[in-house]
Amino acid sequence: MKHRTPASSPWGRRRSRFSRFARRRAVWAGGLAVALALVSGLTPAGAQRPYVIAFANLTEEPGVTVEGTGFTGREVRESFVLAARAYPVEIVYYDNARDDARALANAEAAVARKVDLYIQYHRGDNVAIAEKLKAAGIPILALNYPVPGAPLYSADNPAAGRIAGEALAQFAMRSWRGQPMTAAIIGYLSATADRVPERVQGVAAALAQRLPSLHVTMLDTKGNPAQIGPLLGRFLAGHPTGKLLLAATDDTTALAMKAAVEAGGRVHDSVIVSHGVDRSIHGGMNDRKEIDPSNRGSIVIGSVAFLLDRYGYEVLPLAMRILKGEAMPVRVATRHVLVTASNVFIEYPPYDMN
Amino acid sequence: MKPRAIVAVAAALIVFTFGSAAYGQTDCKALMPASPWGPNDQTGATNRITPAVTKAAAAEIQSGKVVTMSYPLTDGIPLFGSRFTKTILTATTLAPGGALGENQLTYMEDTWLSQSHVGTHLDGLGHIGRKDCYFNQTPMGKFINQNNMTKLGLEHLKPFATRGVLVDMVKVYQQANKFKGNSACKKPCLDKGTVITGADIQAGLKMYNVTLREGDIVIIHTGWGDLFEQFPAQNALYNSGEPGIGKDAATWLISQKIVAVGTDTWAVEVIPGEDPKQAFIVHNMLITDNGIHIIENVRTDLMAAEAAATGRATFFFNMTVPKAVGLTGNFVAIEGIR
Repeated sequence: MKHRTPASSPWGRRRSRFSRFARRRAVWAGGLAVALALVSGLTPAGAQRPYVIAFANLTEEPGVTVEGTGFTGREVRESFVLAARAYPVEIVYYDNARDDARALANAEAAVARKVDLYIQYHRGDNVAIAEKLKAAGIPILALNYPVPGAPLYSADNPAAGRIAGEALAQFAMRSWRGQPMTAAIIGYLSATADRVPERVQGVAAALAQRLPSLHVTMLDTKGNPAQIGPLLGRFLAGHPTGKLLLAATDDTTALAMKAAVEAGGRVHDSVIVSHGVDRSIHGGMNDRKEIDPSNRGSIVIGSVAFLLDRYGYEVLPLAMRILKGEAMPVRVATRHVLVTASNVFIEYPPYDMN
Repeated sequence: MKPRAIVAVAAALIVFTFGSAAYGQTDCKALMPASPWGPNDQTGATNRITPAVTKAAAAEIQSGKVVTMSYPLTDGIPLFGSRFTKTILTATTLAPGGALGENQLTYMEDTWLSQSHVGTHLDGLGHIGRKDCYFNQTPMGKFINQNNMTKLGLEHLKPFATRGVLVDMVKVYQQANKFKGNSACKKPCLDKGTVITGADIQAGLKMYNVTLREGDIVIIHTGWGDLFEQFPAQNALYNSGEPGIGKDAATWLISQKIVAVGTDTWAVEVIPGEDPKQAFIVHNMLITDNGIHIIENVRTDLMAAEAAATGRATFFFNMTVPKAVGLTGNFVAIEGIR
């Protein structure tokens, strides 16, 4: 419906003039908006202003593995690079280098850069860093190690250990029911900083629950992989008969254990479950690694995934929720699953078959 | 009914009830759409190449210039693990005394031992499935023997005589100031893992004022093929990943009713993929669900240069696909005629 203002009214004239001006402005603004919308519609994705997220990694030192697994810090960072492709984010990468002073300097650099969110992966003093970022109004997402006041994404070592123990117990009950058997957990068992003892307790708890009379021997390499062979060799010699349920705290240990079992002539008596699922134990179509669909008879029946090479895919959705102001749980745990020859290509689809 | 007969009937019921479940095949209708060309269709998107489409594409031939769009197929080109392509020359008549007749005729021929998905090659409709289901809800388990497929083979495809449209993604990314190359490329190339979106493709089309038509073949120049050209030096890098289209771009291309999409990469789609738990999902979207072909290892740099020099990115797409019965794909020769 149209309302005409009488031309005799000065107010009306002014209003009318204003209205014409406003209409013209509205038409221009509308046109501009449509043009912008059209342009933005044709602008390649990523041209919109991205969130700037800082990711301060535990360590970028080449070859140094993290969290008591075979994954390196570089693999963690690369997962962020790949996962970020799906989000309107620019990620600034820092290396905490396992050093408190360096970590604090990284946080200060991020404050100066006015990042929108800080993902902190540091096993050390996170208190001062939390204060500095909080004062700058920068929200934090903690990775594996708590930061005061920040939600935490982390591995669930006890749960992972229970999955491994359960897999061993299920195998024993299915294949070796009624036969004498014993168990051993091997690896850097005392690596408290990497929370390996929690993993070990999980394995032991699951075995105790399913096989209450089973004796479990702890074989601690104390971080020296060269000890795997001798330790396991002595264990095999001490148990010349019976079946052996063997848990490895990481994949490298599992592969060394397999070699030791083969050398000891106990392949038919042994079964191994590992933790990590790094690239040393699984590969693509052409790699023929230990956990492979074409190697279903392996005594390494599986490894519990720690997914450090997927951290970016797991963590960035949480980061986006924080940036959108959504409520976050205090802690989100890694979805650990047992990866076997049957599901390795589902969990880790290869792309080397062309 | 006698007890023995009752037992027999019961046994038969058990076999039919449980046996069929044990050996039953996947319900393909639940896994993928039917072909828009009917339940018996084995031709897929080449159905779109009608005489009218070919005639319209012929208008692209203006100067008669032919641009090569295939790479050489020879020892040393990038292949994966167990892939091979080998030739053995038979030249017995060249041996002393081997020539035939007074005219001393000699001859040579080849034995070619090769896998089909090598070099510049076409992915046919039987190349990619979901479980045992392939294009047009085909339960492929019923249609294979140890030699080939008895459905969806290359012999069912129509000739690829249609319009080709080049999209220069290197230029798109350079103009959008988001180009990140790879230092191993001698000419500019997008880096592996670069996700090409539908908006990127539209920007590339707009660059040359092209609107896609039903029946077109879209060729995307990423520059990654520069590594193929350096074979064998950069084979490992070439195979380690690639820039390519993501799910968004695939969805948009499907909506444009194209016949095929090709790139100067080994899989057309971005590697590593957008979702690490999905395997070659763009292949599923294009081939399995829509019968749209993928053409891999296309030589695109010459046509990209031609488009840049002339301001025209369209051409007559000339590709030979043998009527190879029951094959899932084959190496091809492509020329863009201008």
